[in-house]
Amino acid sequence: MMLVSDLYLWLSYSRVSTSRINRILEKIPITVLWESFAESDDFNKYSLDEKTFTLLKRSRNVDFIERTKQYLADNHICYMTRVDPMFPPALSQREVDPPLVLYYKGRPEILREPCIAVVGTRRASQYGRYFVQREVSELARSFTVVSGLAAGIDGYAHSAALSVGGNTVAVLGSGLFNPSPVSNIPLFDEICKNGIVLSEYPPDVHATAYTFPQRNRIISGLCKGVLVVEAAEKSGSLITANCALEQGRDVFAVPGDVDKPRSVGTNRLIKQGAVPVTCAADITEYYGMRSRKAERQKAVALDFAEEQIMSLLEKSEMSFDMLVEKSGMTVPELNTALSSLMIYGLIHEKSKNLYCISK
Amino acid sequence: MLSKIKSYALNGLEGYSVTAEVDIHSGLPGFDVVGLPDTAVKESRERVRSAIKNSGYDFPPRKITVNLAPAYTKKEGPIFDLAIALGLLVATEQAGVDERRSPLPCVCDYVFLGELSLSGAVTRINGVMPMLIAAREHGVKKVVIPQANISEARYIRGIDVYAVSSLREAVDIINGATPSPIDKAALSLESHPHASEDLKYVKGQFSAKRALEIAAAGGHNIIMIGSPGGGKTMLAKCLPGILPDMTEEEVMETTKIHSVAGILDDDSGVVTERPFRSPHHTSSRIALTGGGSSARPGEVSYAHNGVLFLDELPEYPRSVLEILRQPLEDGVITVSRVSRSVEYPANFMLVASMNPCPCGYYGSAMHQCTCSPSQINKYMSRISGPLLDRIDIHIEVDEVGYDDLTSTMETESSADVRKRVNAARAVQTARFAGTDVHSNSQMTSSMIKRYCALDGKSEAILQAAFDKLGLSARAYTRVLKVARTIADLAGAENIEAQHILEAVRYRSLDKAVK
Repeated sequence: MMLVSDLYLWLSYSRVSTSRINRILEKIPITVLWESFAESDDFNKYSLDEKTFTLLKRSRNVDFIERTKQYLADNHICYMTRVDPMFPPALSQREVDPPLVLYYKGRPEILREPCIAVVGTRRASQYGRYFVQREVSELARSFTVVSGLAAGIDGYAHSAALSVGGNTVAVLGSGLFNPSPVSNIPLFDEICKNGIVLSEYPPDVHATAYTFPQRNRIISGLCKGVLVVEAAEKSGSLITANCALEQGRDVFAVPGDVDKPRSVGTNRLIKQGAVPVTCAADITEYYGMRSRKAERQKAVALDFAEEQIMSLLEKSEMSFDMLVEKSGMTVPELNTALSSLMIYGLIHEKSKNLYCISK
Repeated sequence: MLSKIKSYALNGLEGYSVTAEVDIHSGLPGFDVVGLPDTAVKESRERVRSAIKNSGYDFPPRKITVNLAPAYTKKEGPIFDLAIALGLLVATEQAGVDERRSPLPCVCDYVFLGELSLSGAVTRINGVMPMLIAAREHGVKKVVIPQANISEARYIRGIDVYAVSSLREAVDIINGATPSPIDKAALSLESHPHASEDLKYVKGQFSAKRALEIAAAGGHNIIMIGSPGGGKTMLAKCLPGILPDMTEEEVMETTKIHSVAGILDDDSGVVTERPFRSPHHTSSRIALTGGGSSARPGEVSYAHNGVLFLDELPEYPRSVLEILRQPLEDGVITVSRVSRSVEYPANFMLVASMNPCPCGYYGSAMHQCTCSPSQINKYMSRISGPLLDRIDIHIEVDEVGYDDLTSTMETESSADVRKRVNAARAVQTARFAGTDVHSNSQMTSSMIKRYCALDGKSEAILQAAFDKLGLSARAYTRVLKVARTIADLAGAENIEAQHILEAVRYRSLDKAVK
């Protein structure tokens, strides 16, 4: 007698798309499906088309499933099927088009924590990068950070979470043996150790143009909300945002410069009703959680030069040259003061050579 | 009859004695030069023949053999023309012999250096200064050089130097005339830097200007990163105007190399301003490091005690950049060829500039960068970690806005900055007296321990800076060295907290790498 979880493995390896199988499973319970394939060659019986039928028939093989299980175990790949108690309940909702099996490496328990997805363009600007490094590391103290291991914002989000010892989930658009891009493979290994990497595709599957949009529904499905940091007019992260809306998740967006191509997507999301986010606390407060700051900022006694810079920066962000002119300080004095204010965490470099007050 | 005339040759920067032996014997008329001559030496036969004829002497129609001893070293260039011609005249008894036709003793007293023109004039040669220095060390008392090389010979004391402008004048000397040696001059270290740009014309860029000042004061290698149009090249061109004065030792070292390379200024004869070399990125590896069959010095050696400016650093071939690691570490470059291995000094300050990404606008406030992350990674990875490790100061040079261009704010001139740089360098010279180290950038680990000691407060600040600003471990000694220079500029005995705080601002690439 086969276990139900083995049957899901059968369907996962059959190469029939998840949405199609979900439609079939709405009509026929999985055990019935398994049995019926044993006796009949009549694909019209359950109104299956010929291709689906052939694919399912071909992989319906007890030996094959046993070998697959052994193969996964040998390669240290864990998996959870829809019937597994570990399977995230959020993913079982009908709107998500639930995956049949999740193959993973790492710590599945962190999926139970409240999750937030952080997504954005692969071609991040320094603005997006600095925002993620600063705010997402803050966010990771309260949430598990979910993203897609892509270059740019995704990668920065994972790194930011790991840097503060937070939890992070990477959802791949390929099998676990084929993570991409190559430049993020060290990050992949680190997440396997300290977070969890998961995929709905069997380990050997290569990514295609269709798999990435498919996996986006899992990213949003796992989470309470999706934060889009930077997105151009046509961006994969907007697909994630759409998935989030269809699944009834919240969408947050970081506002950007109105005339930068990389901000068009996020600014439009805000126009359409996404929650604008300027710091991590915006999200934690939205969910009524208290932001857990690692260390309370001690009140520091500032000297005269530092006070002067703070009062200048309170009016507006400034470049180094502007600060020299406005403050009348010498360059060494200003350098010293900026360094100490940055060490106190009172100011930060917003983008290259542009200083502003940290909220 | 056989004659011998002394001359000198160079192996790298080391001079060694060469004897031109000329023998005339019977046989079919001919003129051979042996002793591993290169093409220029072989061609000296034609120059010598014409010069002798046009000076009014006879060129004998006999079998002539010239040997340049020692015969196992390769001889290069036209240095030996004068010695060969004189040897020939002595061998044919037209000059330098007494009544009994034996050579006069004064023939052996002199070392002759010089190239001949067909007219019999003695013309300028390269490498006179190192040859004179070597000759002095070997105990030679009298050297005859071309008139045109007087300027560089003036500063070599303890050896009599005579200048000749024609073959006839040299003949007079071996005939026993007593010429008067050239006047020696005291080396004037006062330099008048002529930088093509002055800091007072650079608008804005206060941070970069300050970084240049620190780099000049401590001899620190510096890299400027910024978008096109930020003025990186202009800033670099200001640098000669703020570099500290050279010491006498440095002047001599640099002049030697420039003399060998033949790039000395004819008038001054010595290099009293720190060289500023900016080889183009299409320069070959050998042009940069030196080499060729004769193992000549390259740009890194020309820049000895000065600045090597590499504009658009990632455009240089990786193989060329990697070779810079040895001179950056040891201050010398070893050029090895089949025939010889020569060590040239190459103690330069590396000044480099680069864009933050291939399109140049990553992080720019005014333009949108169009590069993909992998393009940026690829671009940055053209510069290897070990090379970056040897660069103390990283600064970002921003695009200049319209407001800056029209700013009326007074800025300091290069001359003012130079005064501070000189004062700071004087402190360092006193500190490192008696060692091979000239500036803070060259400090060894034990020196760093001794001169860069931090008190508890500064130590705590450095620790905090590393944590908060994301500096990497490799930055530690770099920050200390730069802090030492900042303290020297401020006239402080010990490194204080404010110096550390300023020094940590010059590590922008560390943050980027993180």
